[in-house]
Amino acid sequence: MMPHDLPTMYSAKAVEYLIAVAFLLLFIPFWRFVDRERVTAPVAVTTARRWLGQVVDWFAVPSDLYFHPGHAWARVDGGDVVTVGMDDFAQKLVGGVSAIALPEVGARVRQGERGWSLVYDSKSVDMLSPVDGTVVAVNEQAAGSPRPSGRDVYGDGWLLKVKAPRLAANTKQLLSGPVAKRWMEGVCDALRARMSPDLGLVYQDGGLPVEGMARDLDPANWDEIARAFFLT
Amino acid sequence: MKVSRRTFLKLAGATGASGLLSRPQTASATTPHPDATATLAILVDTTRCVGCRGCEAACSESNRLPPPAMAGEDAVFEEERPTSPEAYTVVNRFHGAEDGGAPTFVKKQCMHCLQPACASACLVGALEKTPDGPVVYHEDRCIGCRYCMVACPFGIPQFEYSKALPYVRKCTFCRDRLAEGKEPACTSVCPSGALQFGTRKDLLEIARTRIYQNPDRYVHRIYGEREAGGTGVLYISGVPFERLGFRTDVGTTPYSQLTWPFLTAVPFVLTLWPPFLIGIYAFTRSRTRAAEAEAGTNEENRHE
Amino acid sequence: MNETVPSARVALSWPREKLLMGLSPREYLSTLVTPFNFVAGLILLVGLPVIAYRFAFGLGAATNLTQVNPWGLWIGLDVLSGVALAAGGYVLACTVHIFGLKQYYPVLRPAILTGLLGYFFVVIGLMVDLGRPWRIPYPVIYSYGVTSVMFLVAWHVFLYLTVQFVEFCPAVLEWLGWSQVRRWALKLTIAATAFGVILSTLHQSALGALFLMAPTKLHPLWYSPFLPIFFFISSIIAGLSMVIVESMLSHKIFHDQVGPGEDVDLDAITLGLGKAASVVLFTYFFLKLLGVADGGHWHLLTTSLGHWFLVEMLVFVLLPTFLFAHGVREGSATFVRGTAVLTVVGIVVNRLNVSLVAFNWNAAERYIPSWMEIVTSITIIAIGLLTFRWVVNRMPVLREYREDQGVREFTGERRAR
Repeated sequence: MMPHDLPTMYSAKAVEYLIAVAFLLLFIPFWRFVDRERVTAPVAVTTARRWLGQVVDWFAVPSDLYFHPGHAWARVDGGDVVTVGMDDFAQKLVGGVSAIALPEVGARVRQGERGWSLVYDSKSVDMLSPVDGTVVAVNEQAAGSPRPSGRDVYGDGWLLKVKAPRLAANTKQLLSGPVAKRWMEGVCDALRARMSPDLGLVYQDGGLPVEGMARDLDPANWDEIARAFFLT
Repeated sequence: MKVSRRTFLKLAGATGASGLLSRPQTASATTPHPDATATLAILVDTTRCVGCRGCEAACSESNRLPPPAMAGEDAVFEEERPTSPEAYTVVNRFHGAEDGGAPTFVKKQCMHCLQPACASACLVGALEKTPDGPVVYHEDRCIGCRYCMVACPFGIPQFEYSKALPYVRKCTFCRDRLAEGKEPACTSVCPSGALQFGTRKDLLEIARTRIYQNPDRYVHRIYGEREAGGTGVLYISGVPFERLGFRTDVGTTPYSQLTWPFLTAVPFVLTLWPPFLIGIYAFTRSRTRAAEAEAGTNEENRHE
Repeated sequence: MNETVPSARVALSWPREKLLMGLSPREYLSTLVTPFNFVAGLILLVGLPVIAYRFAFGLGAATNLTQVNPWGLWIGLDVLSGVALAAGGYVLACTVHIFGLKQYYPVLRPAILTGLLGYFFVVIGLMVDLGRPWRIPYPVIYSYGVTSVMFLVAWHVFLYLTVQFVEFCPAVLEWLGWSQVRRWALKLTIAATAFGVILSTLHQSALGALFLMAPTKLHPLWYSPFLPIFFFISSIIAGLSMVIVESMLSHKIFHDQVGPGEDVDLDAITLGLGKAASVVLFTYFFLKLLGVADGGHWHLLTTSLGHWFLVEMLVFVLLPTFLFAHGVREGSATFVRGTAVLTVVGIVVNRLNVSLVAFNWNAAERYIPSWMEIVTSITIIAIGLLTFRWVVNRMPVLREYREDQGVREFTGERRAR
């Protein structure tokens, strides 16, 4: 054990105090180092905060549809055929794309697995199918042309019609009505979390960017953001 | 700050209950501090020991243990032996003298420390320092955790590893013989007077006298006078103790003191933590409530 | 397995519904055939007889423990490391209920379960190590060695297991459907959390205080009067890292339980926990530095054990500090998870260092665990994992509970239970 004579104790205590002071001095810079997350959004303006509070109201969530957490929707047409598409949030997130790679008629899709892909600028992002079944119809118009933000994703912007034999089981895993609205609120929180509270986005005249929020947030890695929301 | 009465009462009750778990303790082990002058002790004078191992034989007979190994054979001294579950004391031979002369024989057994590490460490009080001196072992309490073995700086407690139902074994100071008014078995048979039994005070006097009267014969130190806070077995020797297999790094602090600061801190933690935690709880709760209220007002403002 | 439970509610017997999760005995058994179960089965096949052998023939026959080395792998790994890694329970409970950070709620119940099972299997490991394990209740009910730090450990573990069970009770009661009792149990949560934090502070540090009794046997770089503080702070680090690791595994293995509408942002939670771990590791590093300064043994750093001490400090403490910070800054939950694995290993390294490597560092005979000790430790851990899985599959630990609907039944694919 350490000898308890004065000079040894004195020097030991001196070293200890030095260490303690060094810790105090280093702690604040370290905390700042850890606490700051890499900011990806451009442009800082004060109106950002007001916009963020309104985000919930931006995305339409019709009550008569079933939603998959990967932002696909399904509408029961009759019997066991459903119409399938991507939801308003997905469209506004990704914006105008060059093409949508849809499966062929007769192809099998499975709930929670890849249904179709959105292609832009040599990057492609998958989206998950909300139901299991066989594709009986494909919206060729939606597949080919670029998609301006005004298109009705829930109407003539549909993507597939699927014959779904296990519809009852599938819809048990899907969200609708008030539960779907609560889910969308959670999605908006997640979106908000990706924007630093200090910096944010400003959209003039209340509209959203044509190129989509994801590309606005991070032009280089928009597809990663999209995949995070689409669960792919 | 709004803490519900129920929560407060629950916490107060919990604090009180757990406070009862650590009663203030005196510095010694489970018994009141033994009067160090009157405690029984043994003086071992290694200059007088001839290595007859009579003490080993008497010990094993008195404790109903198997007879000592290799009795009568000189070969037993070739390796330094530890004590064992079946040999509470052993005599070892050391060639410590500088001139390469006669070897020194050293008897090893439990030191019966004044403030034993083992008794302090035992969580069920199976090892206990009795007021008259011996550190005894209560079989009926031992759970076999072996913490006493970790704690003892002399490495004395021996565990019966070979048994499915094991105990810890060590020298008992022949407590049952003491009860009958007899000496411990080892001291009663020593032919050369190397072992002497008496009160610690008397034995210290005797030891000091011997050293004073024969300064060239003895090293000027009584091992056990202050080691580990003082032990019940004292040694004097003609050869420096480190050459006789004695641990010289044991220090003079009683081992029961080593965990004392921690044990003292426990009631303080039990007292300080509840208000500290409840304070944080109340603080964060009021902050979240304020934030929610503010968000609620903002909602209203926006909808108007 | 693509079987689905029919959507019409068939009245099932209680054992079938609760224990077999609605499957018939044959269906249930067929779900048990998986690679993990195969490995676990092998472990049990070898391990259980070994444990039986240890009890039949004693510690000497099964272990390499000696009179000089009374504590071995079971103490170093199953008890010391196990208690440290089970600290996630009190750390997360404190975070959610006392610090009010409700966003960590999704990982709270699994953390409490990890803590509860962790401590439970620590006790099992301890009972395998004790010479007379049936006497394990003695310090609580029979004979009180009040000067002993280990007495404190015994009492606190006993009380803490109770507290943890109370904290976990709501999940059990939800499984059983006893909603009245459940509501009552929920009210105890704050008090149980506070009590749990207090108890944990004390017994985590007490495990370090145990070694205060052996200044001559523990290497000076590890021996310090501040051992209790080191053990306590490192238990927080262990808890945070273990929750990150456990949640990563649970969400992969039990992903079918985290259904739509409950999709938890595990990445955000992981980053938050990683940030906390980074700060605590930073503090811990300086605390250990203070310990070395206090002992005044700087020159020992040049010895081989000194080098090992530096490895422990630099690779397993300082490195994760900055790796966590980097991961948090980059927003990479994967990076944080990898660092958490490193940190968990580091905690085990530290506990093994204190109890096996630095302990008796200067003794003539050193200790290496026997194969039976290693097999026993692995077996105990395997049983712990199997129990964890059994509970998570049946009780709402990862799933949600709605009072009107009971535990959400789930359709879709079933995996092995």
